[in-house]
Amino acid sequence: MSRDARERILSRVRDANRDREPVSHPGALPEAAEPPGPFSETGEIGDTGEAGGVGGVRGTDPVRAFESRFQAAGGEVIRLADEAAARGWLEDFASEFESVAVCRGVPGALQPALPAAPPSEASLGVSVAVGAAAQSGSLLLSSREGRRAQLLPPVHLVWVRALDVHTTLGDALQTCREDLPAVLALHSGPSKSADIGQILVTGVHGPGRIIAAILGADAVAEPPGAV
Amino acid sequence: MEVHSRDYRARARRIIAETPEVREAVTAATRTFVDNRREAYADLDENALSRWAEGVKSHALTHLGDYLEEAEARLVERGAHVHWAETASDVHQIFELIVREHGVQKVVKAKSMLSEEVGLNPFLESCGVEVLETDLGEYIIQLLDEPPSHIVGPSIHKSLDDTRAIFHERLGTPRDASPERLAAAARELLRDAFLTAELGISGGNFLVAETGSIALIENEGNIRLSTSVPPIHVALVGIEKVLPRWADLSTFLQITAKSATGQPVGCFVSIIQGPGGSPAGEPDGPEELHVVLVDNGRTRLLADPEVWEALRCVRCGACLNICPVYRQTGGHAYGYVYSGPIGAVLAPGLVGLEETLPLPFASSACGACADVCPVRIPIPDLLHVWRQRAVERGLTSGMERSVLDLLASTGTRPGLFRWAEKVAGLLPEQVVRHLPMLREWSAGRETPRAAGRTFHELWDEGIE
Repeated sequence: MSRDARERILSRVRDANRDREPVSHPGALPEAAEPPGPFSETGEIGDTGEAGGVGGVRGTDPVRAFESRFQAAGGEVIRLADEAAARGWLEDFASEFESVAVCRGVPGALQPALPAAPPSEASLGVSVAVGAAAQSGSLLLSSREGRRAQLLPPVHLVWVRALDVHTTLGDALQTCREDLPAVLALHSGPSKSADIGQILVTGVHGPGRIIAAILGADAVAEPPGAV
Repeated sequence: MEVHSRDYRARARRIIAETPEVREAVTAATRTFVDNRREAYADLDENALSRWAEGVKSHALTHLGDYLEEAEARLVERGAHVHWAETASDVHQIFELIVREHGVQKVVKAKSMLSEEVGLNPFLESCGVEVLETDLGEYIIQLLDEPPSHIVGPSIHKSLDDTRAIFHERLGTPRDASPERLAAAARELLRDAFLTAELGISGGNFLVAETGSIALIENEGNIRLSTSVPPIHVALVGIEKVLPRWADLSTFLQITAKSATGQPVGCFVSIIQGPGGSPAGEPDGPEELHVVLVDNGRTRLLADPEVWEALRCVRCGACLNICPVYRQTGGHAYGYVYSGPIGAVLAPGLVGLEETLPLPFASSACGACADVCPVRIPIPDLLHVWRQRAVERGLTSGMERSVLDLLASTGTRPGLFRWAEKVAGLLPEQVVRHLPMLREWSAGRETPRAAGRTFHELWDEGIE
């Protein structure tokens, strides 16, 4: 059945298009039409002249822009200058949790000193992002790391290197193009829903808290309150 | 699914008269969507974006055969099983084989309008499989045994109290439970289902030909879980979902999310290339991935020289949210899985004009839907095409035809037109309302009052 169905569908598709003028691909999206990041909304971010107007995604600090957008969606951000700073912060942060499920790619130094638990039982999941996009406030996660620890624990800590934070989502996806995992996922905030009477609830199925820990970024004097 | 669109008028009337709270809930929810969308687009060159997106989708559709073959080849290379289904019953047969082969007893389902279109849940249940909708809105209406009333927010017609009542009855939560408490109860029950189901089912927002990728946008994480935790994943994808290149994807993800809810992109996006687990050398994920490419009327629509552009639709729901007619009733009045302006265009194309007849007339022709469409589907023009065909095929009432004939003959005789214009202006509103040729039209609308002086009179006097 399947084979015949395939041939019949494809032949109907080609018949349908036979007398139609083919439309050519418009090519790359003109940069001027690129959806801008959070820069023009907040004003104070990357307050360079070229950041305003319609285009305005280039020429701003992607880490600051990512931070602003990720927080606007309910995510938490901590910037850490180096691994020593990361370890110090992690020790403090981990004290809130009972157990952890760690993804495959997390280096030993960035694993919290907590009892390991299966992802379905751990109170914290830890992973490493393959990249991030300022424009949409997204962390890019690979299934090669293991998906369950990214999804099942109620809190998700994601390490990301400052130099992997790209300005546009298109740039971030392009860096993954040549070696795609089974699933490339974008996590752009905590799990949420407004399906019950249009009232916003977080932590519906996925993690209700997501923390992006940015490594190699200049630590801000005042860490975001939520962390 | 069964199509009940012929009863549109009666269903709409009943919803407005008997459940006025539906109009209230739908109007409030859609207004929020519209405001959020406007804000999300505030700093963008919307016109340039939608022209580009229109170009990409039209290109994909006019080269659809090649792109479908390309997507299939990429998926097969990665170890996915690709199936082709011409009809709903083909889809059922494909599922029956998978369910039998693996002894599937429980299915977790992410929201898929296509699965509603082909009546998948009742079919799986008839095979003895337990089916759990995992999107919170879908789960609520599944408990209530109702179809979705909106493409993006399936339960927007339900209030907090409606959900409290059904959760109290079925899950034992308190009658006055907070939304957080209700969500937690659903999370607990569905978490268990994610961990024990043998099969996860999803739809697909986009199918990228170049990489064979299926992209899915969501907020709750239930799609990520449905496509990651059970050992088998089946994705149902309409053949029109193709995007040519990997580089096209980022913009489509963003315009779809912005148009739907005003978000930069959903909280979670899954971009799936193949099965996970050991076949992919990965620590977890489904070891089997099936992709079902579904026609179910789409090639007929593609062959239609006037309406084929409707296939560019990305299912963002922006045209529903802005539509003054949709807001009165929500989606149930339309009697079909796709409601609102785009539903009124797609339904006659996918199912047939006779079965869905009044839908193209369920519009005030205000044109707002065309303004918000991120892929520039000329919805009012397409509605007009269906209306014209309905008249030509003698499917409309005799009265409707004679009114159109009357308009045509009056409109081409200036003397007669002036006389009619004058008389209409002199008649009291109550009389105009009940003129035989207007009675049907005015039953669902407020009759406009004729101006005191006609346009011709103003013109003759000289308009300032």
